Amino acid sequence: MGDEIKTVRDATCTFCGCVCDDMVLTVDVQNKRITKAENACILGKAWFREHAIEERPFALIGGREATTEEGVEEAAQILARARFPIIYGLSDTTCEAQRVAVAIGDMIGGTVDTTTSVCHGPTGIAFQAGGESTASLGEIKNRADLVIFWGGNPAEAHPRLFTRYAVTPKGMHIPNGKKDRTIVLVDVRRTPSTPVADIFIQVKPRSDFEVLWALRALVKGRKVDPSVEQRTGVSLAVLEDLVARMKSCRYGAFLFGMGLTMNRGRHFNSGALLALATDLNEFTHFVAKPVRGHGNVTGADNVVSWQTGFPFGVNFSRGYPRFNPGEFTTVDTLTRGDADAAMIIASDPASNFPKAAIEHLKRIPVITLDPKATHTTQLARVAFTTATYGINVPGTVYRMDDVPITLRPAFDSPYPSDEEVLTAIRDRVRELLGGNRLPVGTRPAPAVATS
Amino acid sequence: MSLELTLHTAPTVPLEADILSPARLGGLSALAAAKLTVVYGNQPAELGEFFKVAGAANGELHLTGDLSRLKQIGAGMGEGRIVVHGPAGMHLGAGMTGGEIVVEGDAGDWVGPEMSGGRIVIKGNAGHMIGSAYRGSAVGIRGGEILVFGSAGNEVGAGMRRGLIAVGGDCGDFAGVNMLAGSIIVLGRLGWRTGAGMKRGTIVSMHPAELLPTFSYACNYCPPFIRLYLPYLSRLGLPVPDAQIAGPYQRWCGDAIELNRGEVLFLDTGEAALRG
Amino acid sequence: MGSSLRIVNGRVFDPANGVNGAVQDVCIQDGRIVADVPPDARKIDARGQVVMPGGVDIHCHIAGPKVNLARKVQPEDHRLDVHPRTRFTRSGTGGTVPSTFATGYRYAAMGYTSAMEAAVPPLGARHTLEELHDTPVLDKGFFVLVGNNVLLYRLLQEGRHEEFRQALAWWISVTKAYAPKLVNPGADEMWKGHRNANITALDQKIDSFDLTPRKVIAAFIEAGNELGLPHPVHIHCNNLGHSGNYETTLETMRLAEGRRAHITHIQFHSYGSVAGKSRDNPTSRAHDIAEFVNTHPNISADVGAVMFGHSTSMTADAPLAYMLRQFSHGKWVNADTEHESGCGILPFTYQDRNYTNALQWAIGLELFLLSKDPWRMVFSTDHPNGGSFMSYPRLIRLLMDREFRKEQMAKVNQKALEHCSLRDCQQREYSLYEIAIITRAAPARLLGLTQKGHLGAGADADVTIYDEDDDKERMFSTPRYVIKDGELIIDDHEFRADHEGRILHVAPDYDPEIERVIQPFFDDFYTIRFANYPVDDRYVRGGQIIPTTGQAAPAGR
Repeated sequence: MGDEIKTVRDATCTFCGCVCDDMVLTVDVQNKRITKAENACILGKAWFREHAIEERPFALIGGREATTEEGVEEAAQILARARFPIIYGLSDTTCEAQRVAVAIGDMIGGTVDTTTSVCHGPTGIAFQAGGESTASLGEIKNRADLVIFWGGNPAEAHPRLFTRYAVTPKGMHIPNGKKDRTIVLVDVRRTPSTPVADIFIQVKPRSDFEVLWALRALVKGRKVDPSVEQRTGVSLAVLEDLVARMKSCRYGAFLFGMGLTMNRGRHFNSGALLALATDLNEFTHFVAKPVRGHGNVTGADNVVSWQTGFPFGVNFSRGYPRFNPGEFTTVDTLTRGDADAAMIIASDPASNFPKAAIEHLKRIPVITLDPKATHTTQLARVAFTTATYGINVPGTVYRMDDVPITLRPAFDSPYPSDEEVLTAIRDRVRELLGGNRLPVGTRPAPAVATS
Repeated sequence: MSLELTLHTAPTVPLEADILSPARLGGLSALAAAKLTVVYGNQPAELGEFFKVAGAANGELHLTGDLSRLKQIGAGMGEGRIVVHGPAGMHLGAGMTGGEIVVEGDAGDWVGPEMSGGRIVIKGNAGHMIGSAYRGSAVGIRGGEILVFGSAGNEVGAGMRRGLIAVGGDCGDFAGVNMLAGSIIVLGRLGWRTGAGMKRGTIVSMHPAELLPTFSYACNYCPPFIRLYLPYLSRLGLPVPDAQIAGPYQRWCGDAIELNRGEVLFLDTGEAALRG
Repeated sequence: MGSSLRIVNGRVFDPANGVNGAVQDVCIQDGRIVADVPPDARKIDARGQVVMPGGVDIHCHIAGPKVNLARKVQPEDHRLDVHPRTRFTRSGTGGTVPSTFATGYRYAAMGYTSAMEAAVPPLGARHTLEELHDTPVLDKGFFVLVGNNVLLYRLLQEGRHEEFRQALAWWISVTKAYAPKLVNPGADEMWKGHRNANITALDQKIDSFDLTPRKVIAAFIEAGNELGLPHPVHIHCNNLGHSGNYETTLETMRLAEGRRAHITHIQFHSYGSVAGKSRDNPTSRAHDIAEFVNTHPNISADVGAVMFGHSTSMTADAPLAYMLRQFSHGKWVNADTEHESGCGILPFTYQDRNYTNALQWAIGLELFLLSKDPWRMVFSTDHPNGGSFMSYPRLIRLLMDREFRKEQMAKVNQKALEHCSLRDCQQREYSLYEIAIITRAAPARLLGLTQKGHLGAGADADVTIYDEDDDKERMFSTPRYVIKDGELIIDDHEFRADHEGRILHVAPDYDPEIERVIQPFFDDFYTIRFANYPVDDRYVRGGQIIPTTGQAAPAGR
């Protein structure tokens, strides 16, 4: 039909947790490529550019090419047989697919975990201990006159966090944009994000907790020993100045990253920051937000939470959801060798998990769903090629601030979506098991009365 | 006579063994006990598939083998005695209300979480979260005793409300975090951020440690309860030299973020007073 | 579906059709109540049993962003109340904020077949609909928060009333909501923009707007009625929980001026104060409130009764949640939604020994017992704010069994009883007929759900059959049969089938030109694109549009 070019407006980029929904995509329909992504940041542009359709088998079973249907049969057999199957990943797929994944976990009595457990899981734990004061990103854009970035490098990991949401944009009560805001950045080193800040506070590595704790104490008017400077590299004077700014702003916001969650202290680091924001609400309006990584990790948190009551690391072995990070989280179930089968969806743990965990992955039957070949798909027993969410596949995703957005895909893919493959697996497992696996100790139900 | 269970087949996936408590097995013959259901991964199995069972239940249970994959041993027990000859898995004695568990080897994470009575003794090392609260809950151990002869991990006694936890070796970070009351005694070294958020309670160490900037030095003194607790621990087998009983101790108060009614005591060895 | 059913020998309570315990057949065919069925239809012998329409919960918090935060923040609650899966039903966890599957199954297990999620910001509509799809059995919808909407305020303050009405219709339509909801109108701007301040008076100026709560509330009441919505407006008044707030409530109700308005969880808005004492000493003004509702047929209310024990406060009234922190020093969640709403969450325990909690409990009962029109003072605990929906059977018993009520009154803080008049209305007992009104017939009628809450021909075949029992708590805890859309979901106390209920929503007409007014606001101030904001039909697949007056009922269902 000749060269057909179409434009998709208001499309959503799902590369990072910013989930910007103002993409204008120029799509070469013939060749199934996105040739232009207006409004995308450098990361988004790469995301759209790199997700063309690759010639790949629909499935690989033990390295041999197979159809999706054959893959489904093999995968269902593996999952139905396993005693401690784990399902992991889920942050780079749609909510619709996530819901089916949790259904499978429940059905087989397995464990469902998401990439949250290696990212902001500690923040989730801190939230469970104390709660948090938070807001949608538009509140920060429109109201925040003090924005404090802590333990993150948005310039490189979330560029539009600065330009679309929290620093440069003009807002309803921030008519002059950045000029009406004070930007503070706290980190252990200078990064490309540092120049954005009006105030840069450099803390010694692994001392964020002490800094946050000192700030909490100062906010409450309690005594802080001056030796805090020696410990943290931050003087009492700088801390007191920051406290004064925090108490006197009109609307303050923390945006924090893995510098807190993945450093010694982990959930206590996150917890201290959340508690500080909470404490500040005695004086003014203050919120704190974890800056989320993968596009739909927030969707995964939400789906798993509403279906089970817990956000990640959920085990169904005994017939009902149980939650215990460190016991049911994936790095742990793999490193300890607990899992005897794994289904990895839209994630590549074999490229970044601890060595012992990867070694165990190699020992058990693994099922993967991924548009691309990765370290993990390469060690899989069954590797499905699936279409990419947001680019080929429609569905729902959640931005880092829990705002749900409906995707507008750019072009079709010949491959099935994660949701389709998971649904087929679920239906086959249901046949194999005769329904959900009965919890240990359940009496079989009395015979159904017939009419 | 007691009930003797010897592991003959190691579980390859976690085995939930809350059936292993004296009351649950009470009055059962070895044969009957072997037929009891355990949760093996996601499916039922019989105890006898893993254990050779001998003797008869009389309130005392002996478990032999590498039980590091067995979770929930003694969970919820209220009476009787369990001795594990080997390492034990996580959630040992979770929520127990009475009785005694002795582990000759190491124990995993979550020893005695939210327990309210009884005693757990670990001859080897223990993992993280001993005597702690489970996630989301503000209250950990509310009574009873945990003794670890070796080392322990992070969050010892998190949310502790009452009771005694003693560690013969070192412990990790955040010992006594968010403590409400109770006593934690560490004969070795503390890790970082001891007592963060503590409301009341006592943490004792025989070595100085760096404390948070919200803790302040109060005084040196010889706390009377030390002269009761340390000999008690000594009688239970922990190595406590006389000097430690004598003191004096440096007393540090905190956490100023909370009520400032908690205390951390360091044996005053003459080492330069460390500042947090 | 084709299946037919005949329920025989049961005592039927169908107040909408005047049936008060008569033993008569109830026939079901193809998911509806019908006059008759063929002789070979399956029979359910309901001898010794009571037959009612399925329960309709007019106000509860069961799905959406706020509920999910409350769910996530209490894992310790879930651990203690697990909900195991069966062959065909999903597992879940409970506590006061159960997971979605457990919510649906437990409501069904109490004989409820419809429920309305009471407060969702428009930005969270998609989320709520996704959760509702994972909430089994129930037919359900949600109320959309509009009472603090910044653009609507701008239109109001500029006197652009017609555009205000069109924009309101647009907002309700594009979010697939069921009704408009107001929560502490005006407070959002004070809370977010004025260092955590609050609204304390109807005539207080709302920060940065030339408006007062009085103007705002009046405008929404007028517009909701003009739009012909089946449930015109649902109001959480200002000053919830504060001593002396009954005056605010009376004033708010007066604003309706004869138009329909529903005041929600009115118990929390019925407090007086002891003259000369600090405002922390509430007393009961249930009399004044009940009197007003009794004498103003345009006003309806749900009680929002307090039940002792654990609850979770979850509310769009963010300042309220913050205020409660002084009584409950634990976790707290605050969540602002740009231009639309606030949210506050706090686990909370009501204690019978506590003066204020005992008073709240008593006031809830007073309101029921003083009500002269059960069609307009209906049943709720504002789940889970006043108490979990699992406490409904106990509340029913308190209303039906004055001996039991007397026993409970003896256990509570006695001083509280002195500051209310519960002892004076102690004699009254609700009958089964009245219970059927306040838990089924009336909520359905107030919501404008003409096919629910009754057993007349053409009604949806949502039927609950309870074993008659002197212990009313036991009776209402475990229905013997629950039928949803003509399908036997619970048979002889056991779940027999999973079932997905449907989303109920309204689609009020609006002038498409209004989008020219709304879009620039999005372009300037929102962080989501205007085109991406409306919720598409996928999220209400299988749902049902309830027409506004003036609209034709859609074809099909």
